[in-house]
Amino acid sequence: MINNTTTNSTNTNHDKNPLDKLFQLQTKYMKGGSDASIQKQHDKGKLTARERLLLLFDENTFVELDMFVRTRSTNFDIHKNLPHSESVVTGYGLIHGRLVYAYSQDFTIVGGSLGEMHAKKITKVMDNAHKMGAPLVGINDSGGARIQEGIDALNGYGEIFYRNTKSSGVIPQITAIMGPCAGGAVYSPALTDFIFMVENSSQMFITGPQVIKSVTGEDVSAETLGGASTHSGRSGVAHFSAPNDETCIAQIKQLISYLPSNYGETPPTFQPNDDANRSVDLLNTVIPQDANTPYNVLDIINTVMDNGSFLEIQAQFAQNIIIGFARLNGSTIGIVANQPQILAGCLDIDASDKAARFVRFCDAFNIPILTIVDVPGFLPGTNQEFNGIIRHGAKLLYAYSEATTPKVQLVTRKAYGGSYLAMSPKSLGGDICLAWPTAEIAVMGASGAANIIFRKEIAKATDKEATKTNLINNYESEFNTPYKAAERGLIDDVIEPATTRIRLIDAFNMLHTKNEVAIDKKHGNIPL
Amino acid sequence: MSIKKFNIKVNGKNYNVEVEEIGGVASAPTPSAPVASAPVSSAPTGGGAGGITAPMPGNIIEINVKVGDTVAPGDIILVLEAMKMKNNITAPSGGTVQAVNIKAGDTVATGEVLVSIG
Repeated sequence: MINNTTTNSTNTNHDKNPLDKLFQLQTKYMKGGSDASIQKQHDKGKLTARERLLLLFDENTFVELDMFVRTRSTNFDIHKNLPHSESVVTGYGLIHGRLVYAYSQDFTIVGGSLGEMHAKKITKVMDNAHKMGAPLVGINDSGGARIQEGIDALNGYGEIFYRNTKSSGVIPQITAIMGPCAGGAVYSPALTDFIFMVENSSQMFITGPQVIKSVTGEDVSAETLGGASTHSGRSGVAHFSAPNDETCIAQIKQLISYLPSNYGETPPTFQPNDDANRSVDLLNTVIPQDANTPYNVLDIINTVMDNGSFLEIQAQFAQNIIIGFARLNGSTIGIVANQPQILAGCLDIDASDKAARFVRFCDAFNIPILTIVDVPGFLPGTNQEFNGIIRHGAKLLYAYSEATTPKVQLVTRKAYGGSYLAMSPKSLGGDICLAWPTAEIAVMGASGAANIIFRKEIAKATDKEATKTNLINNYESEFNTPYKAAERGLIDDVIEPATTRIRLIDAFNMLHTKNEVAIDKKHGNIPL
Repeated sequence: MSIKKFNIKVNGKNYNVEVEEIGGVASAPTPSAPVASAPVSSAPTGGGAGGITAPMPGNIIEINVKVGDTVAPGDIILVLEAMKMKNNITAPSGGTVQAVNIKAGDTVATGEVLVSIG
């Protein structure tokens, strides 16, 4: 309560209402940059820093912090050119009713450049998010380091990277790139769990087009070098891309609805929008009669999960493996699935990296994992071997072995050799392993195996081709089935495909109380 | 769910208020727009613009286009049998077929330019 009758004889402004100065500063700081720079931002189809935060948070829940923080630097008279508050808006609010911290860089003030106090505002919300166990959303739109602040700006980046790493696996960290993000600045997003990019208005690169031109002579546009399509399709740096700021923010809110707030919680559950006892008859015929014909594994995922709940991640990168979140009877699960339509569903370097990182995210945040297997092998070729498929494939084996979250495996068709072992088998701690009758779980394909096992027999035969075909067929019907694995208990049950939804819901329900404590050690040494 | 009781004072007047906490289930938000339903080939596009390259070594078992044909993005250009799978190789972008460098039955290596579209 303001007591207007209080007077202070030493205050020369005693006749002025103290609220005036507050309101005046608030109005000035809330506006952001100049009218011209705000107009420029809007002309580019971009929202301002505060507009973005207001869209991100539930209505009337955003609370701003540090509005009055300003640069301390007087180098090159920077303080005179910065009549505003710092070029980043920070605070907290609610998303779907849950606490989330955020920062949003303001490109309309000195190009959103990062100086000492800009970084301090960011690290304050990072520290709070970590302490409160709440997700952090960072919205990047910055020209980079504020060069006038020199080493103080550089140190600011370091303090952000340090906190990104310390909070990894503690709280979900999400970054949206909604403008330039170049040089060292890219490493904060890269250290977070998910990166969103906006098409045609955001770029990420370590060295920009001019530097590349002067060093290597290559001519490349900023968009080709580091735009949304490059990073969501080619490099795999970005997890989601959106046509504009509004859609991007809607996607972030969507993603958060699947995630727990921190590593000590389980994911939020919702009233199921689908029947838990729904039989999916289509699945009895989804696998083509000819084992060499591809099918779309998304047809399985979309019909088994709760109606319309599958959110695919990195949909344009390493498409031979599919990852994403879905709800099964109202609860979040993570899905890893081979895609037979692309590269025959083989595991390669990019697919291994993509799946391994996702498995580790799910495990860190207590999200159960469903692995759908139809994998013929690792992708053959010198390109793969020379680029280290051995160390990359190892990440997937490591991630699954390390994960203590509930793990359910469903083998729909091929599961051969080492690639089968990389897809959450019983031997890597798979809790429930189910197979369809069409499953072929074996050490290798029939012709390869028959050629080795029956080499002498084939050599001795008068009609070599007929003998070989005969032996391959015999091997196929005997060994390329789910039953050899089921005889050893490596498959817990062979199920009718139509009952898959019912059986998966039951399996994850049963696993709800799983409590496997990781061995107490400093940390393992994942092959990187 | 338990009911919590509060005594609230507004303008000097007391009000007794009972607040009931409703169970923590809300309706689930569903993904707004399912983007990119049809997978497109993730093959590295070597061999210049519009060149369709072999994503892995295998045998060409079917070619659906000839020089001069117009194709749309996503059209199945040819079928490459590799890793015991009949892999549909699709057009990354639309255009006219400029060259077909292979015939059915050919064995191809990773990165080989199979068809050029301009």
